[in-house]
Amino acid sequence: MIKIKQALFLIFGITSFIIFYIGFLNYITTQDKNVGLVILISSAIVSIGTFFATFYISNNLTKPIELLARRMNEFSKNNFITKNSLDDKGFSELQTLNKNFEDMARQVGGALEKEKLLNLNLQEMDTRKTEFMSMISHELKTPIMPIMGYLQMLKKEELMGKLNEKQLDAINEISISTKKLQKLIQDVLIAQKIDLGKLSVEKDILDAKVLVENAYKAFHPICENKDVKLVMILKTSDMVYSDLDRISQVFSNLISNALSFIPEKNGVIEIGTLDNSDNVTFFVRDNGIGIAKELQKNIFKKFYQVDTSSKRKKDGSGLGLSICEGIVRTLGGKMWVESKINQGTTIFFDLPKAKIPLENLKQKKNSKNTK
Amino acid sequence: MSNTVSSSDNQNESRLNVLIIDDNEQITKMISSFLDMSNHECTVVNDGKEGVEQIKTHQYDSIVLDLAMPECDGYEILDILAKEDPSQLSKIIILTASNVPLETVRKFKELGISSCLQKPVDIDQLLSKITDLTG
Repeated sequence: MIKIKQALFLIFGITSFIIFYIGFLNYITTQDKNVGLVILISSAIVSIGTFFATFYISNNLTKPIELLARRMNEFSKNNFITKNSLDDKGFSELQTLNKNFEDMARQVGGALEKEKLLNLNLQEMDTRKTEFMSMISHELKTPIMPIMGYLQMLKKEELMGKLNEKQLDAINEISISTKKLQKLIQDVLIAQKIDLGKLSVEKDILDAKVLVENAYKAFHPICENKDVKLVMILKTSDMVYSDLDRISQVFSNLISNALSFIPEKNGVIEIGTLDNSDNVTFFVRDNGIGIAKELQKNIFKKFYQVDTSSKRKKDGSGLGLSICEGIVRTLGGKMWVESKINQGTTIFFDLPKAKIPLENLKQKKNSKNTK
Repeated sequence: MSNTVSSSDNQNESRLNVLIIDDNEQITKMISSFLDMSNHECTVVNDGKEGVEQIKTHQYDSIVLDLAMPECDGYEILDILAKEDPSQLSKIIILTASNVPLETVRKFKELGISSCLQKPVDIDQLLSKITDLTG
Protein backbone atom coordinates (compact mmCIF):
# COMPACT_ATOMS: atom_id res chain seq x y z
CA MET A 1 0.00 0.00 0.00
CA ILE A 2 1.40 3.36 -1.04
CA LYS A 3 1.13 6.33 1.29
CA ILE A 4 -0.08 9.81 0.28
CA LYS A 5 3.29 11.19 1.37
CA GLN A 6 5.17 8.76 -0.84
CA ALA A 7 2.89 9.38 -3.80
CA LEU A 8 3.29 13.15 -3.48
CA PHE A 9 7.07 12.97 -3.21
CA LEU A 10 7.18 10.59 -6.15
CA ILE A 11 5.07 12.85 -8.41
CA PHE A 12 6.62 16.17 -7.38
CA GLY A 13 10.11 14.65 -7.21
CA ILE A 14 9.90 13.37 -10.76
CA THR A 15 8.38 16.69 -11.92
CA SER A 16 11.08 18.81 -10.25
CA PHE A 17 13.81 16.46 -11.48
CA ILE A 18 12.47 16.81 -15.05
CA ILE A 19 12.37 20.62 -14.71
CA PHE A 20 15.93 20.69 -13.33
CA TYR A 21 17.06 18.19 -15.98
CA ILE A 22 15.61 20.33 -18.81
CA GLY A 23 17.36 23.38 -17.31
CA PHE A 24 20.61 21.39 -17.06
CA LEU A 25 20.35 20.08 -20.67
CA ASN A 26 19.61 23.60 -21.85
CA TYR A 27 22.73 24.90 -20.00
CA ILE A 28 24.98 22.25 -21.62
CA THR A 29 23.65 22.65 -25.16
CA THR A 30 23.09 26.42 -25.28
CA GLN A 31 25.67 28.79 -26.73
CA ASP A 32 24.66 31.74 -24.60
CA LYS A 33 25.99 30.46 -21.27
CA ASN A 34 24.59 33.45 -19.39
CA VAL A 35 21.00 32.75 -20.44
CA GLY A 36 21.68 29.03 -19.85
CA LEU A 37 22.88 29.74 -16.31
CA VAL A 38 19.82 31.86 -15.52
CA ILE A 39 17.55 29.04 -16.73
CA LEU A 40 19.58 26.45 -14.77
CA ILE A 41 19.40 28.47 -11.53
CA SER A 42 15.70 29.22 -11.92
CA SER A 43 14.96 25.56 -12.66
CA ALA A 44 16.97 24.62 -9.56
CA ILE A 45 14.95 27.13 -7.51
CA VAL A 46 11.69 25.72 -8.90
CA SER A 47 12.85 22.20 -8.01
CA ILE A 48 13.78 23.15 -4.45
CA GLY A 49 10.54 25.16 -4.16
CA THR A 50 8.57 22.17 -5.34
CA PHE A 51 10.30 19.99 -2.75
CA PHE A 52 9.33 22.31 0.10
CA ALA A 53 5.81 22.73 -1.29
CA THR A 54 5.46 18.96 -1.44
CA PHE A 55 6.69 18.70 2.14
CA TYR A 56 4.17 21.35 3.23
CA ILE A 57 1.23 19.86 1.34
CA SER A 58 2.04 16.36 2.45
CA ASN A 59 2.22 17.40 6.09
CA ASN A 60 -1.01 19.36 5.99
CA LEU A 61 -2.79 16.63 4.12
CA THR A 62 -1.62 13.53 5.93
CA LYS A 63 -1.44 14.73 9.55
CA PRO A 64 -5.20 15.48 9.88
CA ILE A 65 -6.08 12.30 7.98
CA GLU A 66 -3.86 10.27 10.27
CA LEU A 67 -5.46 11.97 13.26
CA LEU A 68 -8.94 11.19 11.91
CA ALA A 69 -7.96 7.55 11.40
CA ARG A 70 -6.61 7.37 14.95
CA ARG A 71 -9.76 8.89 16.40
CA MET A 72 -12.04 6.61 14.38
CA ASN A 73 -10.10 3.66 15.67
CA GLU A 74 -10.34 4.96 19.23
CA PHE A 75 -14.06 5.56 18.83
CA SER A 76 -14.81 2.14 17.45
CA LYS A 77 -12.95 0.60 20.37
CA ASN A 78 -14.20 2.69 23.27
CA ASN A 79 -17.29 4.45 21.88
CA PHE A 80 -15.75 7.77 22.85
CA ILE A 81 -12.82 10.00 21.87
CA THR A 82 -10.44 12.13 23.89
CA LYS A 83 -10.20 15.81 23.00
CA ASN A 84 -6.75 16.86 21.78
CA SER A 85 -6.73 20.35 20.29
CA LEU A 86 -2.93 20.28 19.79
CA ASP A 87 -3.56 18.00 16.86
CA ASP A 88 -5.66 20.59 15.04
CA LYS A 89 -3.35 21.09 12.10
CA GLY A 90 -3.62 20.83 8.37
CA PHE A 91 -5.86 22.21 5.67
CA SER A 92 -9.00 23.87 6.93
CA GLU A 93 -11.35 21.46 5.07
CA LEU A 94 -9.67 18.53 6.78
CA GLN A 95 -9.77 20.33 10.11
CA THR A 96 -13.51 20.81 9.64
CA LEU A 97 -13.83 17.13 8.80
CA ASN A 98 -11.98 16.27 12.00
CA LYS A 99 -14.08 18.64 14.05
CA ASN A 100 -17.33 17.30 12.59
CA PHE A 101 -16.26 13.77 13.29
CA GLU A 102 -15.43 14.77 16.83
CA ASP A 103 -18.92 16.27 17.28
CA MET A 104 -20.57 13.22 15.79
CA ALA A 105 -18.52 10.86 17.89
CA ARG A 106 -19.40 12.81 21.00
CA GLN A 107 -23.12 12.65 20.21
CA VAL A 108 -23.15 8.98 19.24
CA GLY A 109 -20.97 8.20 22.24
CA GLY A 110 -23.44 9.99 24.50
CA ALA A 111 -26.39 8.13 22.99
CA LEU A 112 -24.59 4.81 23.36
CA GLU A 113 -23.78 5.63 26.97
CA LYS A 114 -27.45 6.40 27.61
CA GLU A 115 -28.52 3.16 25.96
CA LYS A 116 -26.04 1.22 28.05
CA LEU A 117 -27.48 2.78 31.18
CA LEU A 118 -31.00 2.02 30.01
CA ASN A 119 -30.06 -1.57 29.33
CA LEU A 120 -28.56 -1.90 32.77
CA ASN A 121 -31.74 -0.46 34.24
CA LEU A 122 -33.84 -2.93 32.27
CA GLN A 123 -31.70 -5.83 33.42
CA GLU A 124 -32.02 -4.68 36.99
CA MET A 125 -35.78 -4.37 36.61
CA ASP A 126 -35.96 -7.87 35.16
CA THR A 127 -34.02 -9.30 38.08
CA ARG A 128 -36.23 -7.40 40.49
CA LYS A 129 -39.34 -8.70 38.76
CA THR A 130 -38.09 -12.28 39.11
CA GLU A 131 -37.16 -11.70 42.74
CA PHE A 132 -40.53 -10.11 43.37
CA MET A 133 -42.35 -13.05 41.81
CA SER A 134 -40.47 -15.60 43.88
CA MET A 135 -41.14 -13.49 46.99
CA ILE A 136 -44.84 -13.23 46.16
CA SER A 137 -45.00 -16.93 45.45
CA HIS A 138 -43.52 -17.63 48.87
CA GLU A 139 -45.71 -15.12 50.66
CA LEU A 140 -48.93 -16.28 49.00
CA LYS A 141 -48.36 -19.96 49.53
CA THR A 142 -47.34 -19.67 53.18
CA PRO A 143 -50.68 -18.53 54.70
CA ILE A 144 -52.58 -21.16 52.70
CA MET A 145 -50.72 -23.85 54.62
CA PRO A 146 -52.27 -23.27 58.09
CA ILE A 147 -55.71 -22.74 56.52
CA MET A 148 -55.55 -26.08 54.72
CA GLY A 149 -54.00 -27.77 57.74
CA TYR A 150 -56.71 -26.68 60.18
CA LEU A 151 -59.44 -27.52 57.68
CA GLN A 152 -58.06 -31.03 57.40
CA MET A 153 -57.86 -31.30 61.15
CA LEU A 154 -61.42 -30.06 61.62
CA LYS A 155 -62.63 -32.79 59.30
CA LYS A 156 -61.03 -35.44 61.50
CA GLU A 157 -63.57 -36.46 64.09
CA GLU A 158 -60.99 -38.27 66.21
CA LEU A 159 -58.85 -35.13 66.50
CA MET A 160 -61.29 -32.28 66.95
CA GLY A 161 -64.57 -33.91 67.81
CA LYS A 162 -67.73 -34.38 65.83
CA LEU A 163 -69.05 -31.43 63.86
CA ASN A 164 -72.67 -30.94 63.03
CA GLU A 165 -73.85 -30.89 59.44
CA LYS A 166 -73.89 -27.09 59.13
CA GLN A 167 -70.36 -26.82 60.43
CA LEU A 168 -69.21 -29.53 58.03
CA ASP A 169 -70.90 -27.67 55.19
CA ALA A 170 -69.12 -24.47 56.13
CA ILE A 171 -65.79 -26.29 56.31
CA ASN A 172 -66.35 -27.83 52.89
CA GLU A 173 -67.12 -24.44 51.39
CA ILE A 174 -63.95 -22.97 52.91
CA SER A 175 -62.04 -25.95 51.53
CA ILE A 176 -63.36 -25.45 48.03
CA SER A 177 -62.56 -21.75 48.02
CA THR A 178 -59.12 -22.30 49.48
CA LYS A 179 -58.34 -24.91 46.83
CA LYS A 180 -59.45 -22.50 44.13
CA LEU A 181 -57.25 -19.81 45.61
CA GLN A 182 -54.35 -22.23 45.72
CA LYS A 183 -54.90 -23.23 42.09
CA LEU A 184 -55.06 -19.59 41.08
CA ILE A 185 -51.77 -18.81 42.84
CA GLN A 186 -50.15 -21.79 41.12
CA ASP A 187 -51.53 -20.73 37.73
CA VAL A 188 -50.33 -17.14 38.09
CA LEU A 189 -46.88 -18.37 39.05
CA ILE A 190 -46.65 -20.82 36.16
CA ALA A 191 -47.85 -18.14 33.73
CA GLN A 192 -45.16 -15.83 35.09
CA LYS A 193 -42.48 -18.49 34.71
CA ILE A 194 -43.54 -19.14 31.13
CA ASP A 195 -43.32 -15.39 30.46
CA LEU A 196 -39.83 -15.23 31.88
CA GLY A 197 -38.82 -18.39 30.01
CA LYS A 198 -38.02 -20.02 33.33
CA LEU A 199 -40.43 -22.93 33.35
CA SER A 200 -38.44 -25.99 34.37
CA VAL A 201 -39.08 -29.17 32.46
CA GLU A 202 -37.64 -32.63 32.95
CA LYS A 203 -37.77 -34.50 29.66
CA ASP A 204 -37.84 -38.20 29.22
CA ILE A 205 -38.83 -40.68 26.54
CA LEU A 206 -42.55 -41.21 27.05
CA ASP A 207 -45.12 -43.38 25.37
CA ALA A 208 -47.81 -41.18 23.80
CA LYS A 209 -50.37 -43.89 24.48
CA VAL A 210 -49.55 -43.97 28.19
CA LEU A 211 -49.86 -40.17 28.42
CA VAL A 212 -53.40 -40.31 27.05
CA GLU A 213 -54.25 -43.31 29.22
CA ASN A 214 -53.05 -41.46 32.32
CA ALA A 215 -55.34 -38.55 31.51
CA TYR A 216 -58.17 -40.98 30.85
CA LYS A 217 -57.67 -42.72 34.20
CA ALA A 218 -57.53 -39.43 36.06
CA PHE A 219 -60.74 -38.06 34.55
CA HIS A 220 -62.81 -41.19 34.02
CA PRO A 221 -64.40 -41.17 37.50
CA ILE A 222 -65.15 -37.43 37.34
CA CYS A 223 -66.75 -37.79 33.89
CA GLU A 224 -68.77 -40.79 35.00
CA ASN A 225 -70.06 -38.79 37.96
CA LYS A 226 -71.17 -36.01 35.67
CA ASP A 227 -72.65 -38.44 33.14
CA VAL A 228 -70.15 -37.42 30.48
CA LYS A 229 -68.77 -39.93 28.00
CA LEU A 230 -64.96 -39.89 27.96
CA VAL A 231 -63.52 -41.63 24.89
CA MET A 232 -59.94 -42.53 24.02
CA ILE A 233 -58.88 -42.50 20.35
CA LEU A 234 -55.31 -43.64 19.72
CA LYS A 235 -54.01 -43.40 16.17
CA THR A 236 -50.36 -43.76 17.09
CA SER A 237 -48.31 -45.18 19.90
CA ASP A 238 -45.10 -43.32 19.14
CA MET A 239 -42.69 -42.15 21.78
CA VAL A 240 -42.30 -38.47 22.60
CA TYR A 241 -39.38 -36.78 24.32
CA SER A 242 -41.14 -34.65 26.88
CA ASP A 243 -42.12 -33.94 30.48
CA LEU A 244 -44.65 -36.32 32.04
CA ASP A 245 -45.94 -33.99 34.76
CA ARG A 246 -46.28 -30.99 32.47
CA ILE A 247 -48.23 -33.01 29.90
CA SER A 248 -50.57 -34.29 32.61
CA GLN A 249 -51.03 -30.67 33.61
CA VAL A 250 -51.94 -29.75 30.03
CA PHE A 251 -54.39 -32.64 29.70
CA SER A 252 -55.92 -31.85 33.06
CA ASN A 253 -56.47 -28.20 32.12
CA LEU A 254 -57.88 -29.07 28.70
CA ILE A 255 -60.25 -31.74 29.99
CA SER A 256 -61.43 -29.49 32.86
CA ASN A 257 -62.08 -26.79 30.28
CA ALA A 258 -63.98 -29.21 28.06
CA LEU A 259 -66.05 -30.31 31.04
CA SER A 260 -67.29 -26.79 31.64
CA PHE A 261 -68.35 -26.27 28.01
CA ILE A 262 -70.10 -29.52 27.08
CA PRO A 263 -73.90 -29.68 26.96
CA GLU A 264 -75.67 -30.75 30.14
CA LYS A 265 -76.95 -33.89 28.45
CA ASN A 266 -75.05 -36.23 26.14
CA GLY A 267 -71.71 -34.59 26.76
CA VAL A 268 -68.83 -36.34 25.00
CA ILE A 269 -65.14 -35.68 25.43
CA GLU A 270 -62.65 -37.43 23.17
CA ILE A 271 -58.95 -37.51 23.94
CA GLY A 272 -56.23 -39.13 21.90
CA THR A 273 -53.39 -38.94 19.42
CA LEU A 274 -52.98 -38.46 15.68
CA ASP A 275 -49.89 -39.35 13.73
CA ASN A 276 -47.75 -37.12 11.58
CA SER A 277 -44.15 -37.31 10.48
CA ASP A 278 -42.05 -35.47 13.08
CA ASN A 279 -44.50 -34.94 15.87
CA VAL A 280 -47.20 -36.69 17.77
CA THR A 281 -50.39 -34.66 17.78
CA PHE A 282 -52.55 -34.93 20.87
CA PHE A 283 -56.09 -33.65 21.05
CA VAL A 284 -58.96 -33.00 23.42
CA ARG A 285 -62.33 -32.69 21.69
CA ASP A 286 -65.69 -31.77 23.17
CA ASN A 287 -69.17 -31.52 21.70
CA GLY A 288 -69.81 -28.27 23.54
CA ILE A 289 -70.91 -24.78 22.61
CA GLY A 290 -67.90 -24.09 20.40
CA ILE A 291 -65.94 -20.90 19.86
CA ALA A 292 -66.75 -18.35 17.14
CA LYS A 293 -64.10 -18.09 14.42
CA GLU A 294 -63.26 -14.45 15.22
CA LEU A 295 -62.70 -15.25 18.90
CA GLN A 296 -60.50 -18.29 18.34
CA LYS A 297 -57.31 -16.29 17.99
CA ASN A 298 -57.78 -14.89 21.50
CA ILE A 299 -58.25 -18.04 23.49
CA PHE A 300 -54.55 -18.62 24.21
CA LYS A 301 -54.16 -15.09 25.55
CA LYS A 302 -53.78 -14.61 29.26
CA PHE A 303 -56.94 -13.84 31.24
CA TYR A 304 -59.11 -14.17 28.14
CA GLN A 305 -62.55 -15.70 28.61
CA VAL A 306 -64.89 -16.55 25.79
CA ASP A 307 -68.02 -15.22 27.37
CA THR A 308 -70.69 -16.33 24.94
CA SER A 309 -73.54 -16.94 27.30
CA SER A 310 -74.33 -15.11 30.49
CA LYS A 311 -76.62 -17.92 31.56
CA ARG A 312 -73.71 -20.20 32.11
CA LYS A 313 -71.27 -19.08 34.71
CA LYS A 314 -67.70 -20.21 34.11
CA ASP A 315 -65.14 -20.70 36.76
CA GLY A 316 -61.50 -20.01 36.29
CA SER A 317 -59.05 -17.22 35.84
CA GLY A 318 -58.69 -17.38 32.08
CA LEU A 319 -55.16 -18.61 32.57
CA GLY A 320 -55.70 -22.31 31.86
CA LEU A 321 -55.33 -22.31 28.09
CA SER A 322 -52.55 -19.74 28.04
CA ILE A 323 -50.61 -21.92 30.49
CA CYS A 324 -51.23 -25.02 28.35
CA GLU A 325 -50.01 -23.18 25.28
CA GLY A 326 -46.95 -21.93 27.17
CA ILE A 327 -46.09 -25.37 28.48
CA VAL A 328 -46.42 -26.95 25.03
CA ARG A 329 -44.30 -24.16 23.56
CA THR A 330 -41.65 -24.71 26.25
CA LEU A 331 -41.69 -28.41 25.39
CA GLY A 332 -40.95 -27.57 21.76
CA GLY A 333 -44.45 -28.06 20.38
CA LYS A 334 -47.36 -25.91 19.36
CA MET A 335 -51.04 -25.70 20.22
CA TRP A 336 -53.99 -24.76 18.06
CA VAL A 337 -57.75 -24.85 18.02
CA GLU A 338 -60.48 -26.02 15.64
CA SER A 339 -64.03 -25.19 16.57
CA LYS A 340 -67.53 -24.69 15.22
CA ILE A 341 -70.34 -22.99 17.10
CA ASN A 342 -72.69 -25.51 18.70
CA GLN A 343 -70.67 -28.43 17.34
CA GLY A 344 -67.73 -28.45 19.66
CA THR A 345 -64.13 -27.51 20.10
CA THR A 346 -60.93 -29.46 19.57
CA ILE A 347 -57.66 -28.31 21.05
CA PHE A 348 -54.64 -29.91 19.39
CA PHE A 349 -51.06 -29.92 20.51
CA ASP A 350 -47.92 -31.25 18.92
CA LEU A 351 -44.97 -32.72 20.77
CA PRO A 352 -41.67 -33.71 19.16
CA LYS A 353 -41.17 -37.44 18.74
CA ALA A 354 -38.36 -39.03 20.69
CA LYS A 355 -35.37 -38.94 18.38
CA ILE A 356 -33.01 -41.15 20.31
CA PRO A 357 -33.43 -44.34 18.24
CA LEU A 358 -33.22 -42.31 15.03
CA GLU A 359 -30.03 -40.61 16.15
CA ASN A 360 -28.57 -43.96 17.10
CA LEU A 361 -29.27 -45.14 13.57
CA LYS A 362 -27.61 -42.07 12.13
CA GLN A 363 -24.58 -42.56 14.33
CA LYS A 364 -24.29 -46.12 13.09
CA LYS A 365 -24.50 -44.92 9.51
CA ASN A 366 -21.90 -42.26 10.15
CA SER A 367 -19.51 -44.70 11.73
CA LYS A 368 -19.91 -46.96 8.72
CA ASN A 369 -19.22 -44.04 6.40
CA THR A 370 -16.09 -43.06 8.24
CA LYS A 371 -14.79 -46.60 7.96
CA MET B 1 -64.76 -43.97 73.78
CA SER B 2 -62.93 -47.26 74.10
CA ASN B 3 -62.08 -46.92 70.44
CA THR B 4 -60.21 -43.66 70.87
CA VAL B 5 -58.33 -44.99 73.88
CA SER B 6 -57.13 -48.04 72.00
CA SER B 7 -56.09 -45.99 69.01
CA SER B 8 -54.07 -43.62 71.16
CA ASP B 9 -52.58 -46.64 72.86
CA ASN B 10 -51.47 -47.87 69.49
CA GLN B 11 -49.94 -44.56 68.63
CA ASN B 12 -48.26 -44.40 72.00
CA GLU B 13 -46.17 -47.37 71.01
CA SER B 14 -44.69 -45.39 68.15
CA ARG B 15 -44.72 -41.98 69.78
CA LEU B 16 -42.26 -39.91 67.82
CA ASN B 17 -40.15 -36.97 68.82
CA VAL B 18 -40.35 -34.34 66.09
CA LEU B 19 -38.52 -31.01 65.76
CA ILE B 20 -40.09 -28.29 63.61
CA ILE B 21 -37.88 -25.44 62.40
CA ASP B 22 -39.88 -22.72 60.64
CA ASP B 23 -39.99 -18.97 61.16
CA ASN B 24 -43.73 -18.84 60.47
CA GLU B 25 -45.48 -19.20 63.82
CA GLN B 26 -48.89 -19.98 62.35
CA ILE B 27 -47.46 -22.91 60.46
CA THR B 28 -45.46 -24.29 63.37
CA LYS B 29 -48.47 -23.93 65.67
CA MET B 30 -50.71 -25.78 63.23
CA ILE B 31 -48.26 -28.62 62.63
CA SER B 32 -47.38 -28.99 66.31
CA SER B 33 -51.03 -29.10 67.39
CA PHE B 34 -51.73 -31.66 64.69
CA LEU B 35 -48.79 -33.83 65.75
CA ASP B 36 -49.77 -33.36 69.36
CA MET B 37 -53.31 -34.53 68.63
CA SER B 38 -51.86 -37.45 66.73
CA ASN B 39 -49.95 -38.33 69.89
CA HIS B 40 -46.46 -37.37 68.89
CA GLU B 41 -43.96 -35.31 70.81
CA CYS B 42 -43.26 -32.01 69.11
CA THR B 43 -40.69 -29.26 69.64
CA VAL B 44 -41.07 -25.98 67.79
CA VAL B 45 -38.24 -23.60 66.94
CA ASN B 46 -38.90 -20.39 65.00
CA ASP B 47 -35.26 -19.55 64.41
CA GLY B 48 -32.55 -21.31 62.44
CA LYS B 49 -29.72 -20.91 64.95
CA GLU B 50 -31.86 -22.23 67.76
CA GLY B 51 -32.76 -25.11 65.46
CA VAL B 52 -29.09 -26.09 65.13
CA GLU B 53 -28.71 -25.92 68.91
CA GLN B 54 -31.73 -28.17 69.40
CA ILE B 55 -30.44 -30.73 66.91
CA LYS B 56 -27.04 -30.77 68.62
CA THR B 57 -28.38 -31.10 72.16
CA HIS B 58 -31.43 -33.32 71.72
CA GLN B 59 -32.29 -36.55 70.02
CA TYR B 60 -35.13 -36.32 67.49
CA ASP B 61 -36.76 -38.98 65.37
CA SER B 62 -37.47 -36.53 62.61
CA ILE B 63 -36.85 -32.87 61.78
CA VAL B 64 -39.22 -30.74 59.68
CA LEU B 65 -37.15 -27.94 58.17
CA ASP B 66 -38.20 -24.76 56.39
CA LEU B 67 -35.74 -23.33 53.84
CA ALA B 68 -36.40 -19.59 53.74
CA MET B 69 -35.74 -18.12 57.17
CA PRO B 70 -34.13 -14.86 58.27
CA GLU B 71 -30.51 -14.96 59.48
CA CYS B 72 -29.77 -18.69 59.54
CA ASP B 73 -31.78 -20.35 56.77
CA GLY B 74 -32.45 -23.99 55.97
CA TYR B 75 -29.54 -24.29 53.55
CA GLU B 76 -27.13 -23.06 56.23
CA ILE B 77 -28.51 -25.58 58.69
CA LEU B 78 -28.00 -28.34 56.11
CA ASP B 79 -24.42 -27.11 55.57
CA ILE B 80 -23.67 -27.18 59.28
CA LEU B 81 -25.16 -30.64 59.68
CA ALA B 82 -23.32 -31.98 56.62
CA LYS B 83 -20.03 -30.84 58.19
CA GLU B 84 -20.64 -31.61 61.82
CA ASP B 85 -23.20 -34.37 62.09
CA PRO B 86 -24.21 -35.93 58.73
CA SER B 87 -26.15 -38.71 60.43
CA GLN B 88 -28.86 -36.13 61.25
CA LEU B 89 -29.48 -35.41 57.56
CA SER B 90 -31.47 -38.58 56.98
CA LYS B 91 -34.00 -37.40 59.59
CA ILE B 92 -34.78 -34.20 57.73
CA ILE B 93 -37.99 -33.45 55.89
CA ILE B 94 -37.80 -30.20 53.98
CA LEU B 95 -41.01 -28.18 53.96
CA THR B 96 -40.83 -25.05 51.87
CA ALA B 97 -42.95 -22.54 50.00
CA SER B 98 -40.03 -21.58 47.79
CA ASN B 99 -39.48 -23.10 44.45
CA VAL B 100 -36.80 -25.72 44.72
CA PRO B 101 -35.08 -26.39 41.38
CA LEU B 102 -34.71 -30.01 40.33
CA GLU B 103 -30.94 -29.79 40.70
CA THR B 104 -31.29 -28.77 44.33
CA VAL B 105 -33.70 -31.64 44.96
CA ARG B 106 -31.04 -33.96 43.53
CA LYS B 107 -28.44 -32.45 45.83
CA PHE B 108 -30.75 -33.02 48.78
CA LYS B 109 -31.05 -36.65 47.74
CA GLU B 110 -27.27 -36.95 47.56
CA LEU B 111 -27.13 -35.65 51.12
CA GLY B 112 -29.59 -38.36 52.14
CA ILE B 113 -32.69 -36.18 52.36
CA SER B 114 -35.48 -37.98 50.61
CA SER B 115 -38.42 -35.68 51.31
CA CYS B 116 -38.79 -32.18 49.96
CA LEU B 117 -42.41 -31.09 50.43
CA GLN B 118 -44.02 -27.98 49.01
CA LYS B 119 -46.20 -25.72 51.13
CA PRO B 120 -49.12 -25.88 51.45
CA VAL B 121 -48.70 -29.56 52.21
CA ASP B 122 -51.38 -32.08 53.01
CA ILE B 123 -50.92 -32.71 56.75
CA ASP B 124 -51.66 -36.42 56.38
CA GLN B 125 -48.91 -36.61 53.79
CA LEU B 126 -46.55 -34.80 56.14
CA LEU B 127 -47.41 -37.19 58.97
CA SER B 128 -46.90 -40.23 56.77
CA LYS B 129 -43.47 -38.89 55.71
CA ILE B 130 -42.58 -38.43 59.37
CA THR B 131 -43.66 -41.93 60.30
CA ASP B 132 -42.06 -43.42 57.16
CA LEU B 133 -38.69 -42.00 58.18
CA THR B 134 -38.71 -43.78 61.47
CA GLY B 135 -40.52 -46.89 60.34
